[in-house]
Parts: sequence; C-alpha cells; structure tokens
Amino acid sequence: MAAEAVIAAVDVGMSVEQIAASQVGMKAIGAGLAVGLTGIGTGVAEMGIGAAAVGAIAENKDFFGLGLLFTVIPETIVIFGLVVGLLLLFL
Amino acid sequence: MGVNISAPYIYVCTRMRMRKSKLLPKEEYQRMLNMSVSEITRIVGESEYKQEIDELGTTFKGIDLIEVALSWNLAKEYQKIQEITPGTLKQFTQVYLRRWDIQNVLTILRGKMQGVPSGKIKEILVPAGSLDKVALDRMLTEESPDRIIEMLKDHRMFPVLTREYPLAKESGSFSHMENELYKHLYANIINDAKSGVKGGASFLAYIQLEIDIKNVKTLFRLRADKVDEEAREMFIPGGSLSLADFASLNAIKDLNEFIDMIRANISNDTLHVLLDEVKTKKGGVQYIEARLTRVQLEQMEKMSKRNPFSIHPILVYLEKKKYEVFNLRALARGKESQLPSEKIVDYLVM
Repeated sequence: MAAEAVIAAVDVGMSVEQIAASQVGMKAIGAGLAVGLTGIGTGVAEMGIGAAAVGAIAENKDFFGLGLLFTVIPETIVIFGLVVGLLLLFL
Repeated sequence: MGVNISAPYIYVCTRMRMRKSKLLPKEEYQRMLNMSVSEITRIVGESEYKQEIDELGTTFKGIDLIEVALSWNLAKEYQKIQEITPGTLKQFTQVYLRRWDIQNVLTILRGKMQGVPSGKIKEILVPAGSLDKVALDRMLTEESPDRIIEMLKDHRMFPVLTREYPLAKESGSFSHMENELYKHLYANIINDAKSGVKGGASFLAYIQLEIDIKNVKTLFRLRADKVDEEAREMFIPGGSLSLADFASLNAIKDLNEFIDMIRANISNDTLHVLLDEVKTKKGGVQYIEARLTRVQLEQMEKMSKRNPFSIHPILVYLEKKKYEVFNLRALARGKESQLPSEKIVDYLVM
C-alpha cells in the first residue's frame, strides 16, 4: 500500500506527508457531507409532519405529546449522519 | 392535478380533517330521532355548538334557539376557515362561499316583499359569503327592495339582479331570478377555476360534480312534480349534461329508461349504484335527493383522498358541515311539527 502510495505520489509530485494530510481533509469533507445532507433530509421530512402536527394540535390540544413525538422521528436520520461523521473523524 | 406539499397546505388540510372527525356521527342522528326538541337542544348544546347555545339561550327559546344557534355557528365556522386557508386555497374557498350571498340577498328580498320584520329575517341569514354581517345589517335597515338592490351596485351579481328584478317584482316570485343567479354564479366559478390558477383543475372537478348532481336532482324533482314548461330554465350548464340531454331526459316518462339514460350520460360509480337501487326500490323524491347528496359527498371524499393537499379536503368539510346543520335543522323542525321519525329520516343526509 505504502509503496503504491509513494509511486502515486511520485507520479503527481506529492510527498507522503501531503497524502496523509489530504486523507484527513477528505475524511473531514465526508463527515461534513454526512451531517449536512442528512440534516437537509431531516428538515424535508419534518416539514410535512410538523405542519400536520401543528394543524392537529390547533384543533385538539391532546395531540401535543403525540405530535411532538412524530415530528422528531426523522431526527434519527441526522443522528445516523452524525454517527457516520464521528466514525469518519475519530476511527 | 399535481401533488402540492407545501407546509401551509398540509397544515390547513389536517385541520379540516380534524374538524371533519368532530362532526356528528350517523348513530347520533338516529338517537336524536327519538328525542323531543328540548332534548335535541340539550345534546346540540353539549357538542360543538355549545358557545352559540349558551350565548343565545337567554334571548331565544325552543326551536328558534336551535335555528339561530346553527346559523351562527355555520357562519362563524366558514369565516374562521377563510382566515386560516392560505394562498389560492383561500381564493377558491371564497369562490365556493359566494353562493351564500345569493341565499342571503334572496332571503332579504323575499322577507321585505312579504313584510317580515327585520329581526326575523336576520335570524335565518348566514353571513358566510362576501357580504358580511355589517353589509347585511345595512341591507336589512332598508325597507324597499329597490333600494336594497341599489346597495349592491358594486357586487358581482348586480347585473343579473337589475335585469331580473322588474320581472320578479311583477310576478311576485323570485324563483326565476334565483335560477338565473345560480347559473351566473356557476358560470363565474367555472371561469375562475379555468383561469390557470394553481389547483384550478381540482376545483373544477368538484364544481362539475356538483353541477351534475344538481341537474340530476332537478330532473328527479321535475318528474315528481310533473312540471314541464320551465324545465329548460332550471338546467345549469357546465357539467356532463348538455341542455339537449337535459331536455330529452326530462321528456322520458318511463323510470327505467330515464335511469338508463342518466347512467349513459354521467360516469360516476357511486351514482350508478344509487340509480340501480332507485330502480328496484321505490322511494320518495326527498329520499332520492338526500341519497344523491350522499353520493356527492362520497365522491368528494374519494377526491380528497386522491388529492390530499388540495382544495378537496376543505370543500369536503365545508359541505359536510353544511349538511350537519341542515340535518339538525330538519330534525328540530320535524319534531316541532310532530312528523313521524320515518318521515324525518328521509330528509336527513347521513
């Protein structure tokens, strides 16, 4: 692996240190994408549920607990993203 | 028709569904059929109409209390819905509610012609359309119908009113004017729906359904009353039937043939089931009308499931609420005039 990397580095004119640094950078970009994109997904999913939940609560206050619970269920998506991000950065 | 998933649409459609679920169920009407007027008032006072019954309880008694409370509640509900609906949905809701203007203006005109006191007329008005409480009150203070029509100078129905009023005044009957006003209204509504506004297609589908059902109802009523001469006048254009179809349907004497022709002209599964039932079972015209209304509501319910975030869920609620008020009024009125329960049940839409 190292030998191949060295050869590749020689090819594009990068040192081993530069490759290591760029790998860290790529991981950071991956982690950012994981959290960012899942965040957008969660937002889209919660839009409909939240709007419906607020509508239901406006008519009947008893729906508050249930409405809140359903609204935050898509939150799991962003948590998956966060976990993936953390794994990328710290493992 | 397109699926719209913007948050305000979802919000308002959910509210309408919640409100719909609070309407009185069929069993409740069946229970009320065995009750007296005061017991019905009590049940109504414990439901969504509590506020109105409490407010009006000191001024009105018995049947008047129910009638006024129902009208007030209906108007309040319609005003509230206009407040919470967003964008084009609000526009369509207002277009739908315009029919109440016709009803209110005609009630006032008829009342004034017959010398009914303003207070009595006011009890049965439903200020849900573009003419609000203040405008209606101002009209009520006028004594002569000519002045009332003048007051509506800026209103959409003014051209029809001025055209038809002299004739109505002469004959003393507003029925021709009423037909013309409704025709004008539906023509306008169809224009609005076709103007290319987003969601217009779903609104148009509903309007066409309503016109179809209205025309079929008129046909059944004409058969029952055996009146031929004014049939053409009562036809509302814009639905599946053309004027020629309508006239030829009205000319058919045999019931089976008549029903087969309607089946061929209007494609609607729920309607077909009802027509088959009418063929085998004889029912009064009231019963058929109530069933036709039921067909319309069922069809609308289907449409609202197909387009969950459109004007349909709102229209279903508006219509169902209207018929709840009609039902309660029919029940109370029927009990007041001591009609047997079997007779009242024919008038109920459930």
